Amino acid sequence: MEGAGAVALAPAVRLTGVTKRYGPVVACAGVDLELLPGEVHGILGENGAGKSTLMKILIGLVQPDEGTVELGGREVVIHDPQTAAELGIGMVHQHLSLVEALTVWENVLLGDASKFDRSAARRQVMETAEHYGLEIDPDRRVGELSAGLRQRVELIKCLRRDPKILILDEPTSVLTPAESEQLFTTLRDVVAAEQRAVALVSHKLAEILHATDRITIMRQGRVAERSRTVEATAPALAKAMVGRDVSLRTNAAAFGAIDLIDQGDPADQAVRAERDEAEAAVVAADRAARPVVLSIDRARLMRDGVTLLDDLSIEVRAGEIVGVAGVEGNGQRELGDLLSSLVTLDGGSVSVNGTTARTGRAGCMADLGIGVIPEDRHDSGCVLDMSVAENLVLDRIGSTARMGLIDRKRMRARAVELMREFDIQAAGPDAPFGSLSGGNQQRVVLARELGHRPTVLVAAQPTRGLDVGAIEYMSNRLRAAAESGIAVLLISTELEEILALSSRIVVLSRGRVIGELDRREATSERLGLLLGGVGIDESTGASA
Amino acid sequence: MIASAASAVGDVLSSEAMYQSAMRFAIVLAFAAVGEWIAERAGTLNISIEAMMIGGAYSSAVAWGAFDNVPLALLIGVLMGVVVSLVQAHLSHQLSIDQFVVGLTLNLFVLGLALFLDSRWEAVTSVVKPTKVPLLHDLPLVGEALFGQPWPMYLIVPVVPMAWWLVFRTRWGLEVRSVGDNPQSADVSGIHVNRRRREAIMVAGGCAGLGGGVLVLGQISIAGYEGGHVGLKGIIAIAAVIFGGWTLRGTLIGCVLFGYFFALQQTLPVLGYRINAQLAASLPYIVALLVTAVFATRTRQPRALAQPFVRGLT
Repeated sequence: MEGAGAVALAPAVRLTGVTKRYGPVVACAGVDLELLPGEVHGILGENGAGKSTLMKILIGLVQPDEGTVELGGREVVIHDPQTAAELGIGMVHQHLSLVEALTVWENVLLGDASKFDRSAARRQVMETAEHYGLEIDPDRRVGELSAGLRQRVELIKCLRRDPKILILDEPTSVLTPAESEQLFTTLRDVVAAEQRAVALVSHKLAEILHATDRITIMRQGRVAERSRTVEATAPALAKAMVGRDVSLRTNAAAFGAIDLIDQGDPADQAVRAERDEAEAAVVAADRAARPVVLSIDRARLMRDGVTLLDDLSIEVRAGEIVGVAGVEGNGQRELGDLLSSLVTLDGGSVSVNGTTARTGRAGCMADLGIGVIPEDRHDSGCVLDMSVAENLVLDRIGSTARMGLIDRKRMRARAVELMREFDIQAAGPDAPFGSLSGGNQQRVVLARELGHRPTVLVAAQPTRGLDVGAIEYMSNRLRAAAESGIAVLLISTELEEILALSSRIVVLSRGRVIGELDRREATSERLGLLLGGVGIDESTGASA
Repeated sequence: MIASAASAVGDVLSSEAMYQSAMRFAIVLAFAAVGEWIAERAGTLNISIEAMMIGGAYSSAVAWGAFDNVPLALLIGVLMGVVVSLVQAHLSHQLSIDQFVVGLTLNLFVLGLALFLDSRWEAVTSVVKPTKVPLLHDLPLVGEALFGQPWPMYLIVPVVPMAWWLVFRTRWGLEVRSVGDNPQSADVSGIHVNRRRREAIMVAGGCAGLGGGVLVLGQISIAGYEGGHVGLKGIIAIAAVIFGGWTLRGTLIGCVLFGYFFALQQTLPVLGYRINAQLAASLPYIVALLVTAVFATRTRQPRALAQPFVRGLT
């Protein structure tokens, strides 16, 4: 049991019965949480489990409807981030809180209430950086920095204010594996040497097990389970997180747990690996014999003097899933835009079965049989205010229209058919799209794209923000699509998702392909090196 | 034809009056443009800068007629600019009404109001005699332009460095720049985004009001105060900010450029050149249009320019 036998440490922060409702949705329901000084406390849960809301309450961005917050035994009301900072609570945000146009020291100073002193601020930045071994140039503009360095700035910004409580919200989503490792090392330091309390919010089992002392698992706004990390096992955590027994192996993508699986029983692992190897070799040989369907040839895209796609070449064969891995912001969005006919190339070409697309013309890619599940389904995947049926026929409205008039009967018949086939849970074809859950919205997009029997399916971050069940469904659909002969291009920043689904993996860095691996040769370490921008020749050279 | 064009250019370039007139226009534009620059750095494309200028111009003129005191008249112009800016700031950054709808409406409303009131309280204009700086004033060509202006014009000399200092050397300025570039980040850092934006608009109102006052009291037009006195100079100030790529120095260069074209329209007839009056009058606006088309690239503008901020939407 918690605290039994251990020295009773006064918690740095104690939340009691915290409840937050957004209309009918309860984001947090009577949550109790204690963060102890000198500990990293993992807060684990699926998307929408209430982790982020809870942290926003601590940082003052959200006010709880019920419940109390105590700091060092004293009840406090945190109106805004400024109050939180004064009380000694600092947060490293998931989508970083930095301003690109400002320099490092300006960003560190932002939001402070102290005297505005340039040289003192610069000195403090350098001192803090040195103290924690987070080297940084205070005069660089943040916009020029890599995601890893930006997070370093964010950490310095927090640590400079000497917080008693440090919150990190999904901190590794923008980091390479090496950068993540370094972050955790710093955190250990912060916790052990300086007795700060750290809350690490994550949906990745592996990093929660690796980097925390104590775990609180949230599900549907409630605390599902608490445990000490040393006593926790991955399957138990997964079960508590989802609320049912789940296979870590088939859901590796959802749990960020590829590494954990590989650590299973060695004998069993060897047998399995051998079998997988043999199977994969046959499959790979079979795949190599199939025709190339989608061919992107030296695609070049510039904007305002910045090269976004740099001689990017990718081929996808019929029936295979090619995974495009990379740290966010390395050309994934542009690649998705290109295949959605949203951008005009400055060089190179895209062709499907030998027919070259006239890039930049609206619909040019769809005409070639490319279906796209876009990165942001709200922004470019669908229209929230329209009905499910309208969204399902949106891109090929001609197929349900007669002489320019929409045949509503036909449209709804088509919608009902697709809703059944893809198991879309909605009040009916006329239900507003916005009323659907995230998973069902994504199914609508999937149904629309697959409904046209595309020759190529592009899936950009297809499982972002979905829960485990929805992720599982999406993964199965993508596999089935490939098996039916569709060439699938999977663009994802989740390494686990790429590893779980792809038969071939290309790695993007700064808009160019810096490595291509067969699934059989792809290990987390190898991919990790590539993600860090080390080219394939260099990485093999280094390991030799 | 070419020869005559060349000689016209020569005449214009060697005309002292031309430089003086261009400098006056440039300075008046610069007051408004500096204010607009601050508002835009905070993320507001503040088109009601025109209304703020009109408010400043009309109230300065009335105040001068009433009190016969130039500093007081200018001060009242500044205050009226701020009053107009309060309306813009409150409607667009508190009630979250579209900033362009507010700005456009405000421009028409204040212009109409000034025209209407003009029929009741007659505005008087332009009496400040030029201050001639000894010796320097006698410099060839530019002496008169730089060292022989009415004293209110020289208020631009402290205003520009103060604006720079405010934006780049104060906490307020840092916060203003952050809300113009990434309001979400500024918000999580604990900055009141819309409050900073409102304040920046008020600074713009003060600057534009002063510009309006200087315009009427600094004897720019030959005629006295007219209802449409400001004549879209506020809009041109916006073009100057765009031309300057949202830097202060570039904005000032833009003001000089546009001031030059305003001056052409006045000076060419004086120099004896016949030019279609309508064409001459529209020259600055044509140039402004070309300039915005060429210079309005997204790379240099504040990233959240003209984007409203509502908390919770990310």
